[in-house]
Amino acid sequence: MKEICQSVKKKDHDPKIEGRSVYVDDYNLTASGKKILCGRLLHSIYAKAKVLSVTVPELPEGYYWVDRNDIPGDNNVNIVLDDTPVFCRDTVEYIGEPIGMVVGPDEKAVEALLKKIEVEYEELEPMLDLRNGDTTFFDYHFGHGDVDKAFAEADKVYEEEFTTGYQDQTYLEPQGMMAEPEEDGRMFVHGSLQCPYYVHGAVARAMGTGPEGVHILQDVTGGGFGGKEDFPSILGCQVAVAAKKTGQPVRCVYNRREDLEFTPKRHPSLSKYKLAVKDGMVTAVEADVRFDAGAYSTLSAVVLQRGIIAAPGIYNIPNVRVTGKAVKTNTTPCGAYRGFGAPQTFFAIEMMMDHIAQDLGIDSIAFKQKHFAKQGDMTSTQGRYHFPVPIPAMLDEVDELCDLRRKHIEYSRPQSGRYRKGIGFSAIFHGAGFTGSGERDMIKATAKLRKYADGTVEVLASNGDIGQGVRTTFPKIVAHELNIPLDKVYYSHPDTARVPDSGPTVASRSLMIVGELLRRAAIKLRGIWEEGKEQEVEEHYKQPDFMIPFYLDRFEGDAYPTYAWAVSAVEVEVDTYTGVVEILGAYGNFDVGTPVDYNIVVGQMEGGFLQGLGYASIEKMSYDNKGRIRNNSFTDYLVPTTMDVPHMVAKMHVEEYPDGPYGAKGAGELPLVAPPPAYLEAVEMALGGMKKHRLNAIPFSTEDVILELNKEVL
Amino acid sequence: MNGIHFRLNGKDTCYDGSAADRLLDVLRDTYDMKSVKCGCKEGECGACAVLIDGVLVNSCCVAMGAVDAHEIVTVEGYRETARFAALSKAFADLSAVQCGFCIPGMILAAEALLSKNAHPTEEEVRTALSGNICRCTGYNAIVNAVLNAAKEGDGLW
Amino acid sequence: MVNGYKPTTLQEAVEIKSRVSVTPYAGGTDLMVRNIPDAVYLFLNDIDELRQITQDDAYIRIGAAVTFTQALDSDLVPPLMKEAISRIAAPAIRNAGTFGGNLGNASDKADSVLAGFALDGRVRLVSAKGERVIPFDDFCVRRGVTNIADDELIAEILLPKEKCALPYYYKKIGGRSALAISRVAFAGAYEVHNGVIQAISATVIGEGKFTRYREVEATLIGKSVDEVSANADAYAERFIEKMTFTRGRVSAEYRKTVVTNLFKDYFASMK
Repeated sequence: MKEICQSVKKKDHDPKIEGRSVYVDDYNLTASGKKILCGRLLHSIYAKAKVLSVTVPELPEGYYWVDRNDIPGDNNVNIVLDDTPVFCRDTVEYIGEPIGMVVGPDEKAVEALLKKIEVEYEELEPMLDLRNGDTTFFDYHFGHGDVDKAFAEADKVYEEEFTTGYQDQTYLEPQGMMAEPEEDGRMFVHGSLQCPYYVHGAVARAMGTGPEGVHILQDVTGGGFGGKEDFPSILGCQVAVAAKKTGQPVRCVYNRREDLEFTPKRHPSLSKYKLAVKDGMVTAVEADVRFDAGAYSTLSAVVLQRGIIAAPGIYNIPNVRVTGKAVKTNTTPCGAYRGFGAPQTFFAIEMMMDHIAQDLGIDSIAFKQKHFAKQGDMTSTQGRYHFPVPIPAMLDEVDELCDLRRKHIEYSRPQSGRYRKGIGFSAIFHGAGFTGSGERDMIKATAKLRKYADGTVEVLASNGDIGQGVRTTFPKIVAHELNIPLDKVYYSHPDTARVPDSGPTVASRSLMIVGELLRRAAIKLRGIWEEGKEQEVEEHYKQPDFMIPFYLDRFEGDAYPTYAWAVSAVEVEVDTYTGVVEILGAYGNFDVGTPVDYNIVVGQMEGGFLQGLGYASIEKMSYDNKGRIRNNSFTDYLVPTTMDVPHMVAKMHVEEYPDGPYGAKGAGELPLVAPPPAYLEAVEMALGGMKKHRLNAIPFSTEDVILELNKEVL
Repeated sequence: MNGIHFRLNGKDTCYDGSAADRLLDVLRDTYDMKSVKCGCKEGECGACAVLIDGVLVNSCCVAMGAVDAHEIVTVEGYRETARFAALSKAFADLSAVQCGFCIPGMILAAEALLSKNAHPTEEEVRTALSGNICRCTGYNAIVNAVLNAAKEGDGLW
Repeated sequence: MVNGYKPTTLQEAVEIKSRVSVTPYAGGTDLMVRNIPDAVYLFLNDIDELRQITQDDAYIRIGAAVTFTQALDSDLVPPLMKEAISRIAAPAIRNAGTFGGNLGNASDKADSVLAGFALDGRVRLVSAKGERVIPFDDFCVRRGVTNIADDELIAEILLPKEKCALPYYYKKIGGRSALAISRVAFAGAYEVHNGVIQAISATVIGEGKFTRYREVEATLIGKSVDEVSANADAYAERFIEKMTFTRGRVSAEYRKTVVTNLFKDYFASMK
C-alpha cells in the first residue's frame, strides 16, 4: 500500500470525541457575544391550498413574525431552476411548506405563539400520483443504436416494472442554520451544511445584495449524505430574512419530526424496463424512468440525469433508449441522497438482468458477466470507459470471500422448511464528479494554499467535512507533497469570506477533484517555498484531455471521466414463519482507486453499505392519500442499529485513476448503490425464485415477505 | 423540599426550575453540557445518553425531579479520565469518529458496558451500543474500537 | 420541588395521589416522549419498596419501579419474563423503563405485560384507603384504558410461582433487531405430563389489546401434544377465529399470518 494510504489520527477526532466541537445548536451566544433568537417555522398542513389569510396574534415585545413580505430580495431560492420560494407564495404546494417564521428569545414562548397563528386555507386537489402525474419538471431522452430493430429481431423481449421508495438521509444532527447581521452590513449565515457557496448564492439573492453582501460558514456538521446539499440554502435564506428583519442573530434548528417529514429525501421511482435478448445476449434496453420530485424541482434535474445515465447498468448493450421524467407531486421536495438517482436505476437493471437469467435457466452471475462492459467500450451516453473495468477480478475476490458462485447455485435449488437461504450479487459503478461538463462549465473549482511565516500551511477550499474526513485527507495530501509533518497543515471549516469556490461537497468529488488541485498546488508551493515568508498558491480545475465532450441536450459524450466500481454479495436466511430476514453476511468489494487514508475509506464503505441494506429492507417511508408522510419519527422510520448487520465485510480493490490524487477516484456514494439489488435477489432466491415470487420493489420488509408468501397459498 | 439537588460531573448542583423539565434541555441550556446532543427527543437514538449513577440513560426521557439525589456524568465529566483516554485512542486508531454527533453518547454507552463487563464479547458490545444510532460508520469501527479499548485498557475497568 | 412531588414511601405517595392531580412517573421513557403540557409528576423512582424484587410462597413479586435491567440481573425473575424484557428497545431504555410504567401506560405493545399475561400475572394496587390485587386480565381494559382508580398506584406485579416454573415459548418480531416496538409477539407457558397437555397459556401482541382466550386454552387440556402439533392449523384456528388483528405499522393480514405460524411453532416446541 502506498504511504498516502496509511491511516492517521483524524484532525477532528479530539474535539468531537471530547464533546467540544460546536455544532450550530451548541452556540450559547454568537462569536461576538450577542444573544441568539430562536426561530420556528409555521408549516402548511395541506398538500395544496390557497393561503387566504394568516392571522398572527399580538406579539409580545421582542417577538416577530417573518414571512415573504420581509424578503428584501427575491423570493426564489437559488438551486437549479429557482422555483422554490423562501416562504410560500399565494399557494402552498406540500404539507410542511414554510409559511413564515416566529422569532423570539424564548423557544417555548415561540412555540406557543406558533400554535396561536390562524391560517385560512382554501384546499385544492393535490397531485399525488407518480405513475400518472402529467406535470413534469424535466423530461429527458437519449439513446443510440437501432432499438426498434433489435426488438423486432429478438428471440424474446422482457418487460418489467420496478419501484423504489423514499429514503431519508437520517444524519444524526438535524438541519439547523443561523444568521447574524454584521456591523458592516453583511449578513453572516452559518450552520449545518455541505455547500457553502450554494448557500452563498441563495442568501445573496434572497437578501438582494451582491455576493459581497453575505458570507457563509460551515459549522461542524453532524452528517449530510446529500441531505444538506440544497436544504441549507432554503433554511439559510429564511434565517437571514429573519435576522435582517429583527436586526438580531436568529437560529432555526429543526426537530426530528420536522426533519423527517419536511426535508428532502431520496426520490421514489417507477422504472419500466424492456430488454431484447437474442442468442442468449441482451441486444437492446429501453428504460422509462420516473422520479417523484415532490412539489418543487430543487435538485431533481441533476439527480435524474445521473439516474438515467446509469439506466443500462454496467453492461455493454449495443442499443439503448432511455427516457427520464421528474414528476411533480404535492409532497416534500426530494433532493440529494448518496447515490443521487443511481441507486434507483441500478436496482432496476440488476433485478432485470437477474430475472432474464432465471427465465433463460442460467445462473445470473454468469449471465451478467457475459455482458460486463470493459475498457474501451461505449457508455450509455456514447462516451468511453477509458480505464480498465476491474469488475471480473472484483467478482472473483468476492467469490473467494463468501463462496458466492457455489452458494448462488445451491440456494437457487428448491428449498423447503421454515428457514430458507439466498445469496444475491450485484455490480455497479459510480461516475466520479459532476455529470457531464459540470466541473468544467459550472463549478470551475479553485483551491488555494496559504503558507504562513511560521511554516504552517492552510488549505483554502469550500468543501465541508461532514464526517467523510476532508479536514484530514486534504491536509494529508498537502503535507505529503510538501514533505512536512501533518500537524503543520490544517483545514478549517470553510467561510466564503476567506476561501475560494472549490465547488460543493457532493458527487463524490471532493477528494478526487479538489484533492488533486491541492496536490498540484502543493507541488507549486514546494517549487517556490521560501522560509519565513507568507506565500499563497492557487490551482484551477482543468478537464482531462482524454474526455469526449459531453452535450447535455443530447446526453452525448463522457458523462464522467472515470468510474468507481463496486461488487456486492448479500447472504440471507428468511424465516418463513415471521418474515424476518437475517443477513448472514454482507460482502462488498470497492474500487475507489487509491484510498487516501485506508481507515477513512473503509469507514465510508461500511457506512454506505449499511445505508444501502437499510434502503432495501427496513427503511420504509411513504405518503398517504392526503400527501402526508406518516413515518415522521424515529419510532416509525427505522434505520439499522448495531444488531442489524453483525457480519459486514468491506474489501478494497485498487484500480488507480491517473488524474486523481495518487490514483484516487470518488468514494463516498459508491457503497450505497450495490447492496439493494443484491439483498432483494437473495430474498427472492430464498422464497423460491422469480417463478414463485417475482420481486421488484424496495424496501422489501418483513411484512412484505409474509404477504408475498401468502400469495402462494391463495 | 426546595430545588433539585444532584451531582453533575462530581459537583453538587441545585436546580431551581420545574421538576418536569427535561434533563437533556437542562444539561445543555442551564449547565452548558453541550456534549449531550439532541438527535430525536424520543429515546430512539442515544445521542443524548448520560450516566445516572453509572447507568446509561437517555437524558431526553428523564424529568429533572427524577434526578434528585442522583449523580450524573456527561462526557464533560469523563473526558479527563484514563478510561476515556483508552477509548479515545481506540476510536482514533480505527477512525471510528465520522460526523461525531453520536459519539459522546456512544462513549458513555461503552463506559457503561465496560464498567459492568470489562471483557465483553463482540455480541455484548453490539447489544450495549444497540440504542445508539450511528448513520455514518456502519458500526464496525465503533464496535471494534470498544473491543480494542477493553483489550488495551485492561485493568482500567 | 416545583411541579413535582418526590415521596420516599408508598404511603406518602398514595396520600399525595389522593389529594392532588398528578401523573405517576417511574422511568419516564414513555411519559417524556408524550410531552404532557404543564405536567405535575409524582416521582416514584426512588421509593425503595417499589424497587424490590421479592418472593413469598405463592408469587414472585416485582415492584412497580423495578427497571427492566434490574429484573434481568435478578435470579428470581422467570425466564419467560426475562426473554421478553431483554428485547425491549435498548439498554438505555431498559435501564430506566419499569414494570409499573409498562403496565400502567396501557400500551397494547408492552412486552412485559404480554409475558405477565402468559404467566397469569396479577397487579397489586394501593391507595390511601387500602389495596387490592387483581389479575392482569381485569386490569387491562383496552389500549389506553386500565382499571386503575384515580387515587390508586401500581405497587407490584405478582407472578404465580407455579406458572413461572413452567416451560415457555416466546417470540417477538419488531421492525429491526433492536430499538423496536413489537409488531407481533407471542408468549405462552405450558405443562405437559406423559405427552398430555395439563395447562397452557397463549397470548399475543397484535390485537390492539391484551387478552387470554381461556375457554379456548381449556379445550387443549387433556389433548396429547402429538395430536395438537399434528393438527396445528386446526388448533391454531380455534384461537385465531376469536382474535381480531389490528393494522397500523403493519397490516392485519401480516399479524394474523404470523400469529398462526407461531401457534404452529409453539405447539411443535412442546414436543
